[in-house]
Amino acid sequence: MPATAFPEVAPEVMPKPAAATEHEHGYLVICWDDPVNLMEYVTHVFQTVFGWERKKARKHMLEVHNNGQSVLARESLEKAEFYVHQLQKYTLNATLERDGK
Amino acid sequence: MKFLRASGGTFELQFAPEEKALLFHLLNLYPLVPETYHRLTKDKKLARRREDQQLLNEALKSQREQNRKEILALVSNATRFAQTNGLSAVVFARGELEWMLQVFNDVRIGSWIALGSPDHEAKQKTRPDRDSLRHTMMMELAGAFEMFFLGIINGDVPPESGG
Repeated sequence: MPATAFPEVAPEVMPKPAAATEHEHGYLVICWDDPVNLMEYVTHVFQTVFGWERKKARKHMLEVHNNGQSVLARESLEKAEFYVHQLQKYTLNATLERDGK
Repeated sequence: MKFLRASGGTFELQFAPEEKALLFHLLNLYPLVPETYHRLTKDKKLARRREDQQLLNEALKSQREQNRKEILALVSNATRFAQTNGLSAVVFARGELEWMLQVFNDVRIGSWIALGSPDHEAKQKTRPDRDSLRHTMMMELAGAFEMFFLGIINGDVPPESGG
């Protein structure tokens, strides 16, 4: 989603997460495995959404398939939300999570 | 289905009558995935989560409406498919193949959800009734169209070849 979609929120109203502010790269974009999305399709979506070459997209697809999940990006909250939206537009099982590191 | 040729970022495909009917049937099923299916995060403590979830839902709803418009424009355009010897030829832009991939996958995932979101093992054990057979067929057909279109986009399907 574009940055303009989110109005500024006063800190006293909505406290920032302890680990990272919204503008820091503290959010992970994760794709989770499911038994229905086709491997070729997932590879294609990664290429389309992130502009990756086929080899890198396929590596992440195999991580999803073999490990149950793959971290696709580490971004600010707004950018992570944008990527999650793009992935879900293609009906992939993607979420954003705070980076615990 | 047959991929005839690619030219200048467009792709010419040919459909037999029953293939075109299947294509339109799948497109007209859209959308099948429930609006509440997607979650922005699994983290219940994530700040602004409810507000952001709502924004995500609205963005996805808007996307569905746009895809629905594209579908209606395609299936209602009588001149889009050129008839030759009982076969229909159509030229799709890359962007059209892209939104159709989204539509096919929505039908695939939506059919899977309607089947109870089975895992690989459970899917094989499912005792078929009329509804589950229909959902299974739609899921597999949507997957077949996806693979054919992906093959064309990726250059894996050579011109003059069928799917």
